[in-house]
Amino acid sequence: MGGYGDVQMIDEKGLRMDGRKPSECRPIEIETGVVPVADGSARVRWGLNDVIAAVYGPMEAHPRKIQRQDRAVLDVRYNMAPFSTTDRIRPGFNRRSREISKVTAEALESVVLLELYPRSKIRVEIEVLCAEAGTRCAGITAASAALAHAGIPMTDLVVSVASGKVNGVVVCDLNKEEDNYGEADLPMGILPNSGELVFLQMDGDLSQEDFKIAWDYNMEAASHIHEIMARALKGGDA
Amino acid sequence: MSIPLVPELLRKHLADLADSDMRIDGRGRFESRDISLEVGILPRAEGSARVQMGNTIVLAGVKFQLMTPYPDRPNQGGLMCSAEVRPVAGRSWEPGPPSPQSIELGRVVDRGIRESGCIDVDELCIIPGERAWQVILDVFAVSDDGNLFDAFALAGIAALRSAIVPAERFEIGEDYPLPVSKTPTMCSYHRVGGRYVLDASKKEELGGDERIHITLGDDGHVHSLQKGLKGIFTTAEFEEIMEHAIERCAELRDLVNNAIEK
Repeated sequence: MGGYGDVQMIDEKGLRMDGRKPSECRPIEIETGVVPVADGSARVRWGLNDVIAAVYGPMEAHPRKIQRQDRAVLDVRYNMAPFSTTDRIRPGFNRRSREISKVTAEALESVVLLELYPRSKIRVEIEVLCAEAGTRCAGITAASAALAHAGIPMTDLVVSVASGKVNGVVVCDLNKEEDNYGEADLPMGILPNSGELVFLQMDGDLSQEDFKIAWDYNMEAASHIHEIMARALKGGDA
Repeated sequence: MSIPLVPELLRKHLADLADSDMRIDGRGRFESRDISLEVGILPRAEGSARVQMGNTIVLAGVKFQLMTPYPDRPNQGGLMCSAEVRPVAGRSWEPGPPSPQSIELGRVVDRGIRESGCIDVDELCIIPGERAWQVILDVFAVSDDGNLFDAFALAGIAALRSAIVPAERFEIGEDYPLPVSKTPTMCSYHRVGGRYVLDASKKEELGGDERIHITLGDDGHVHSLQKGLKGIFTTAEFEEIMEHAIERCAELRDLVNNAIEK
């Protein structure tokens, strides 16, 4: 990041290249049941992002050495399909997808009532079919909707969203150009009912003041996304 | 791990149904599930398709890369088909390196398309010996409720037929549709309850025996065959399914043509 400051991404009216206000999210749609053979599933379309998540389980954990006597293990995978980006992605795990899988698992483990299912395993599969920026947030959001759709008990849903900074202006929910040329990115995983956090990353350069604005944008966006998610889970369309 | 007892009971149930010429979901022997086919559904792919057959859902995406032609074939580009069934598609698909099943799937789909000659690799050459297009077809299972083979083959050829060569992005002229001269389609038959049925569901695959995959080209020419799993079949049995495949592959070809014209 940095060094791209000459790319103009905020116009004189203070609007962004796609016409959004700084505090505004891209359009989001959530639907459930998109993987009919899974125990629960959800699809999040968010800007050009198209992400599906499927949940299998609780099921027997094998091999036995991964079993935990007091709780279930959550086996989370984040993956980008080969055709999800401009340049094809070679199949297989890479360092980026492994890290995202890990932080996503840890976010979800914070809300799933794992102790209800000792010695079992719950599989969460996140697949990015089309990527625009913010796929990890879309993935976490889809995964929590899929867990709820599978009827897995949780203390709260998890809604994930990122804010950042472009041309010196704090903006919510970065699109591809803003992510590529922006100055900072702050993704968070928020429990919409309590306002608590289970996921936090950040890279770039933000002043204390800007950081506070980005944080508040994420909190506002989370309650907006939560409404869409709740509607999808209650059976209505996004 | 699946419990071996359930397939044994399922196998018996399927055999009982077969005695009265019935299938577990009420279909006729050579009746396929309803198929929906859409193209142009993945914005980041240069060609794409989605196929749904009952609860089986697959996607196919085409990407292009520049390659240096192989020294022994300086005038040719490349075509690569890759199938990876990721664990998202069903509880029986385990994480880890590609399983023999998913490698077989990719290779059988690849052979049907490649051997039909529908993509002329000579046309993919840009500068002989220096630069050529590599066409990469990736098929992806969203939900596996049986017969991924036919779904992959159908999505694959439809994605190729809809593909646009992204020449502008690589600064070598204007974009143009990928020339695809033929439309090979695949029909798969599984032995369930002692006889072959078309388009087996997951339950029929679990409680069935061997399977035969037939890929036919525009004029009924045979481009790829594969017998999979343990089992014995006769010439008469093969003739019967081949006769049906000739008809069915033509219907699937019409389906692709209609989807492309839309």
